[in-house]
Amino acid sequence: MKDDPTQFGASSRPAAAGRIFGEAALVAVFGAAFAFAANQISPRGLALARDYFPAGTAASARPVAGGGLPVGAGANAGALSPAQSLAAQMKAMGLQLLDDNQAARLFRDPRFRRDVIVFIDARDEDHYLLGHIPGACEFNPYRPEKYFDTVLPLCQKAEQIVVYCNGGDCDDSESAAVMLRDVGIPNQKLFVYGGGITGWMTNGLPVETGARNSGNFLKPNP
Amino acid sequence: MTIAQTSRADVAAVLARWLLGAVFLYMGLSKALNPVDFLKLLRQYDLTQSSLLLNSMAATLPWFEVFCGLLLLAGVAVRGTALALMAMLVPFTGLVLHRALLLQSALAIPFCAVKFDCGCGAGTEFICRKLLENFLLMLLSGWLLFGHGRRFSLRFSLIKPAASPPAVN
Repeated sequence: MKDDPTQFGASSRPAAAGRIFGEAALVAVFGAAFAFAANQISPRGLALARDYFPAGTAASARPVAGGGLPVGAGANAGALSPAQSLAAQMKAMGLQLLDDNQAARLFRDPRFRRDVIVFIDARDEDHYLLGHIPGACEFNPYRPEKYFDTVLPLCQKAEQIVVYCNGGDCDDSESAAVMLRDVGIPNQKLFVYGGGITGWMTNGLPVETGARNSGNFLKPNP
Repeated sequence: MTIAQTSRADVAAVLARWLLGAVFLYMGLSKALNPVDFLKLLRQYDLTQSSLLLNSMAATLPWFEVFCGLLLLAGVAVRGTALALMAMLVPFTGLVLHRALLLQSALAIPFCAVKFDCGCGAGTEFICRKLLENFLLMLLSGWLLFGHGRRFSLRFSLIKPAASPPAVN
């Protein structure tokens, strides 16, 4: 077989290896340029300078393990229950935690109908449309600019704001609450419903589909 | 090696190149179209406290995979692309393994029963299956790195070896 100098294993191995590393460097440089450009062009691209996790970049700080699991929970798992850990973390962040009963009570409070109490859904649009707490406002903390115009006036007027996401290990509700606090909503108004939509549905409470106040409800499970 | 065997190996290598390219194209696009989800998954590894760095990784890695997938499918800079993929696969497999070990210790369950979304683009998977997949991807990349899969390639090597001077009689 004829010796091919471009093959590994040919007589000039170091030169061939050098060419491959050079080629990989070219791929890396052009690939990075392509990637940054694609992210800029994509309507779903990330804003590089934005802090998407104002409640903390480290995911391991989140103590609750509903659907997923916390990293490093092994050694101290018995010290605090997940609910206690979550309450402690909320307190440290200056936020107040609501359980299922408290959230349901606020939902039934007549002040909710007058927007004195506001529910904020911190999940993305697709999940919101599939089902949310009736009357809750959509506020995806990863695309806040899209929602500030509608959500901020409501929050400024409200006396109590209940923020929720999926529940379990989802911390988008904390991110949303911290984001609202950062734009001037007083801390004492903000409550995080830890159970989220999962806890809400588990308790058989009503779920609205589509837009806010659409009047369409999910049929409760028999 | 006979000509028929060489031919079969060439065809297999081209199929491997296309398979690897298609896998990275699919995995890259599935993340690039939902970058926020990938950002959240990447965050679970606690790689950095800098949001700029984390955002940059989440924004560029998926598109970089798409880029590499396209190069492999077209057969451009195949060995350099294979090396770049190896350079991504090895550390990320290490990170996935590290996280799986942490989860195993937290749950006190057998290692292969650990299941989570590693952010690789295929959703929630059992760790042993994920590691096997990554090992196979590394094997395929390694195979291409050694110069296989030249057929049907637009420009297999970007950097050609310097031409040797003509022989003088």
